[in-house]
Amino acid sequence: MSHRDNPLRPHPATILKIVPETRDVKTFRLTLDDDEAMENWRHEPGQLAMVSVFGVGEAMFSISSAPTRRGFIELSIKCMGKVTRALHGLEAGDKVGMRGPYGNHFPYEQFKGQDLLFVGGGIGLAPLRSLVDFVFAEENRADYGRVEILYGARSYDDLCFKYDVLDGWTKQPNTHIYTTIDRAEEQWRGHVGFVPAYLEEVAPAAHNKVALICGPPIMIKFVMQALQKLDFRDEQVYSTLELRMKCGVGKCGRCNIGSKFVCLNGPVFSMAEIGQMPPEF
Amino acid sequence: MSARVISRDRISGFLDCILRKYPLVAPVEEDGVVAYRRVAAAREVALDAGLSDVPPKTHFFPQTEVLFHYSNLSGLEIVEPAGAPETVLFGVRPCDLRGFAALDPVFGGRFKDVYYRDKREKTTVVGLSCTSVLPTCFCRAYGSSPVDGTGADLMFTRLGERYLVEVRTPKGARLVEDCADFFTEDGVREAAREKEVLARELDGRFVRRVDLDSVKEKVDGMFESPYWGKLAQRCLGCGICTFLCPTCHCFDIVDEDRGDRTGCRLRCWDSCMFTDFTLHTSGHNPRATKTERVRNRFLHKLKYHLDRYGLAGCVGCGRCVAKCPVNIDITRVIAEIKEVD
Repeated sequence: MSHRDNPLRPHPATILKIVPETRDVKTFRLTLDDDEAMENWRHEPGQLAMVSVFGVGEAMFSISSAPTRRGFIELSIKCMGKVTRALHGLEAGDKVGMRGPYGNHFPYEQFKGQDLLFVGGGIGLAPLRSLVDFVFAEENRADYGRVEILYGARSYDDLCFKYDVLDGWTKQPNTHIYTTIDRAEEQWRGHVGFVPAYLEEVAPAAHNKVALICGPPIMIKFVMQALQKLDFRDEQVYSTLELRMKCGVGKCGRCNIGSKFVCLNGPVFSMAEIGQMPPEF
Repeated sequence: MSARVISRDRISGFLDCILRKYPLVAPVEEDGVVAYRRVAAAREVALDAGLSDVPPKTHFFPQTEVLFHYSNLSGLEIVEPAGAPETVLFGVRPCDLRGFAALDPVFGGRFKDVYYRDKREKTTVVGLSCTSVLPTCFCRAYGSSPVDGTGADLMFTRLGERYLVEVRTPKGARLVEDCADFFTEDGVREAAREKEVLARELDGRFVRRVDLDSVKEKVDGMFESPYWGKLAQRCLGCGICTFLCPTCHCFDIVDEDRGDRTGCRLRCWDSCMFTDFTLHTSGHNPRATKTERVRNRFLHKLKYHLDRYGLAGCVGCGRCVAKCPVNIDITRVIAEIKEVD
């Protein structure tokens, strides 16, 4: 059995760096131990990777770094269950396993010449960040118009990537960042309120624009409604879906929505596509 | 397609001949359950057992399978199991041959499953025609028959005290050559005619008349139907239908650590009938109720597999009908679907 052809065999990988984002989210910067495998690693914004903690298990995560940043792979992971808890207990230098990339990606080729509106909630900014940084990369920035990012979390602490959303990204030309938290806090000078309501308040124009959403299912639902009020058509709106996965390669059977496997046919779907699928996610 | 004849009293000799060259997997009866296992001698084989309780998909897709061993001591080491040896799988019934065909595209495709593919490629499949039709059988509805050798390398059909042996592939031909002494070409024509007679006779013995006409079109629009809720009321969620289904392929992946940073990663059968199959860590569950799970199972069999692979997700073996503790019957479901408004 040749391991190069085995999709269920993870690449040994090493944690280069861990960035604490919030109380319960950390960004893990990883590299594959095999130089050739790392050199050959190519992911697209929106794609997924399966991470192993040997002896504990595997779980699927969105890749949060842009493919334009070579030499490492970043995953921003919230401490939620068995595997994520084990990951949160690891340190730089520790070994994990990594396989992928899996799934489709944001069809950024089709977005060229258009404005982009990103709407994220909590850890939901992780898959969007890959595309945001891809668009902000020098070689790509001219392909896209104005970038608006509306990002919210429960509290100031729950805002991920503060160095981006409150600093780095705000300095980008032709870009506007809107941040909000659910409830007022003493040191917070920004907007207070839920993401969908803030979106209606900001009221971005739908013309020549693509909206990309990721966040908790309830947020996605109300953001969709808000976008409809703002005259966005279903074809202009994309989201990533998240289902429990074990294999990531279309065999284990649990991430199906109707006849589609989210690991192969997703995780990125347009709202027009989601409208055609049974409401089972 | 060439053919041979083997006399019934020479079957044991033939199986022992195989065993001298290859590992042999065949139906055996253990504690009243017929399943496919590796055997050490021809006498272990339950030659006349009829349809097995557990389908032979266990050979290509075992209930539990080691994916690799790992050691995370000084550096990380991952060691996969050795490849499968050339093996003979004997006594596969026509419905189960169809089952392999249904699983092939699942374990193939863009990401080839090396564990399944390796065994599949290195296995010579010897089919065995049925000589009776169970009350639960309905392979006929899927265009198969009790004597259909499609998918076999060699197809055996018992005709009284001898078997017709149809050589369907080069792999099958090689196995016949390996054990050439046991076969004769005398009487092949007559045996082939007898097989046709047997085929006609068995065709008349089906109790269940299952008509799939317009079922796919109907279920395409039935996702929200209250029918699934009614059907689910009886279901216990035990999962026996999925475990014994020749086309079910769901699995879980788990690590077993010895507690010293070494261990193995396994995959084992899982079932879409279980609550935690789709349960997210957050507590959200896309198929939280039995209604959703029962619907998913039947839609997989009648729609999803067809949509994805262009192949039926049911082969009509009738195991789920026979083994369901509350008599949920896919043939009745097929009939009832047509009546749903």
